[in-house]
Amino acid sequence: MTLDSATADRWTSIVLFAVGLAMLVGGYTMDRLEIRQIHPASIPGLVPMILGLAMMLCAALLFLSARSTHMASKAQLADATGSSTATQTGKDAEPTAPRATSNRDLFFAASYSVVYALALVGSLPFAQATAIYIAVFYTHFTWQNASNPTDHLKRIAFGICFGIIGAYAIASLFQYGFLVRLP
Amino acid sequence: MDGLLALSQAFQQMATGEMLFHVMWATLLGIFVGSLPGLTATMGVALLTTLTYTLDRDAAITVLICMYVGAIYGGSRSAILLNIPGTPASAATALDGYPLAQSGRAGYAMALATAGSALGTMVGILLLVLLAPPLAEAALNFGSFEFFWLAVFGIVISGQLTGGISPLKGYIAGLIGLMVAMIGSEGIHAHIRFNFDMPELNGGIGLIPAMVGAFGFAEVLTVMWRAKANVVNTTGERDRILPKLVDLWRYKFTIARSGVIGTLVGIIPGVGEDIGAWASYAAARRTSKERAQFGKGSYEGLTAAETGNSAVVPGALIPALTLAVPGSAPAAVLIAALFIHGVRPGPMIMIEQPEFIYSVAVMLIFATIAIAVFGLFLTRVFILVLKVPREILMPLVFTLCVIGPYALTQRTFEIWVMVVFGLLGFVLRQMNYPMAPLVLGIILGALLDKSLRRGLTLSDGDLTPFFTRPISAVFVAVIVASIALGVPAVRNAISRTLDRLLKREAERSTDG
Repeated sequence: MTLDSATADRWTSIVLFAVGLAMLVGGYTMDRLEIRQIHPASIPGLVPMILGLAMMLCAALLFLSARSTHMASKAQLADATGSSTATQTGKDAEPTAPRATSNRDLFFAASYSVVYALALVGSLPFAQATAIYIAVFYTHFTWQNASNPTDHLKRIAFGICFGIIGAYAIASLFQYGFLVRLP
Repeated sequence: MDGLLALSQAFQQMATGEMLFHVMWATLLGIFVGSLPGLTATMGVALLTTLTYTLDRDAAITVLICMYVGAIYGGSRSAILLNIPGTPASAATALDGYPLAQSGRAGYAMALATAGSALGTMVGILLLVLLAPPLAEAALNFGSFEFFWLAVFGIVISGQLTGGISPLKGYIAGLIGLMVAMIGSEGIHAHIRFNFDMPELNGGIGLIPAMVGAFGFAEVLTVMWRAKANVVNTTGERDRILPKLVDLWRYKFTIARSGVIGTLVGIIPGVGEDIGAWASYAAARRTSKERAQFGKGSYEGLTAAETGNSAVVPGALIPALTLAVPGSAPAAVLIAALFIHGVRPGPMIMIEQPEFIYSVAVMLIFATIAIAVFGLFLTRVFILVLKVPREILMPLVFTLCVIGPYALTQRTFEIWVMVVFGLLGFVLRQMNYPMAPLVLGIILGALLDKSLRRGLTLSDGDLTPFFTRPISAVFVAVIVASIALGVPAVRNAISRTLDRLLKREAERSTDG
């Protein structure tokens, strides 16, 4: 299942329906501040209830229209690709073709960045955490381009230097330039 | 006449060495940010907001506006040279810019894009100065009923126009934004809603950390996910880096029309530069004598797209300044920055700080001059900028995404907000949910909530004034029409009826 598919839309609609229902219930059970004798039309839960209902309605429509929307979207994409290739010649004739993606790169970038932001920052001084983050990030993504051990060593050395310089430059800018107490 | 006087006073006040220095570096940084695929204008403005809070009001807003103008213009560089729009605003630019680059006219394509952007922004500035003061004055007649519908109108129109084939996803994105805005202390009774026993949520979700996540972290992930792009390597012998005046004169009507269309699109809440560019491009193609050339390297198509997207910038600032309703996602961040720097955008701006709108116009003029100068004379340098490897740029960008929101309040909670919105933003984008209605929802949530409940209190629970007051009735009609037009069955029925009417009219004229 890809994220841009009818199945994904149906699952999302179920999640959104649940969120809408939670918002509706949350708004309905919210304190109505009777003790403060406020106007009944100004209760704090009013708008959350309306938003919850609206979200449930939209989620139901999304569930029902998932298939037809994706078929229409595919037809439109086919039309667009057809017309663009018809107007181009030569080896670069497909300007609208989707670019290749790497799920492995995405997983590493996402998980490593989350670990840095939520675990490394705060448990280590900011400059040190950032130097480690930048150095490992750079080395990881350039590792596969290296062809021999010397090349690997060069990339590691550059990664470490780049990490230290980048991290201390950013940390100094915020600490001394903007007087921020770093995490 | 008063406007001209105010503009010249603002010009005298702003034309200092320090201000020009800020204009230069911020515009240059903006072009750099915009030209790199993955770095958007919204992200640039959001990150720079965290870096400018120690500057004084005028300097800080100048820096942010220069970043905004520079980034929207800078997107044309990668659209022309890589066939990848540096920002979504430049998607239409790639259609004609890339074929021009392939045929060895990359330099001239960039020169035309520069001229188009500068002229488009100028048209927008003119309309900003002409339209913003009367709009602010008209908005003084708005009450709670009208403000409620204005907020609903913003979400509906933004969802409708940015949702692509399915406006439903645009509406859902808007609802998610409104739901996020319900978190924390509400504006009438100061009751705390949906804080899940976390005191950090009492003040609500900050717009800047959310935007840095949704536009910064999500972009870092998108860039690292996708394969690297290659810069086109075709600089021909006949290429030139200055636009020919004869070409600009030939397209004078296209430039004027695209400038007006872009500005008007900018005024519509939460729609943004990409729609401005596409609308201008479509209008130019419909009326052009060289229609067949569009999509194959048309100078007119490129000029229309660039003029259109740049004119959106001043257009988006019109509702942002006069109604506190952003015309685009970067304008939403700019509203948050205005509050940080003590400016209260909204109908009262012409009473509290009447000179500010003219100061913004001067800031935009400075930014436009800067993009024209840098764009025409640093063409070769920006080609080098596109060659900066993503492995070097992205960890630095993410580090700024972490420390930027933290610096605003010095709470690690803001980093959590940034991470959550980054992951959510990435997933939503892959599922084709537009981000603009979400941003608009976060910023308009409080206005919608307070206006509805205040209106109901004033009318003692009666809904009638929401539909019978003249401005409210107009808003209701537009909202209902927009939603109805989003339903395929209604759209098809309208087009069938129109076809039938046209056919009948044609038959009648041939009979006659």
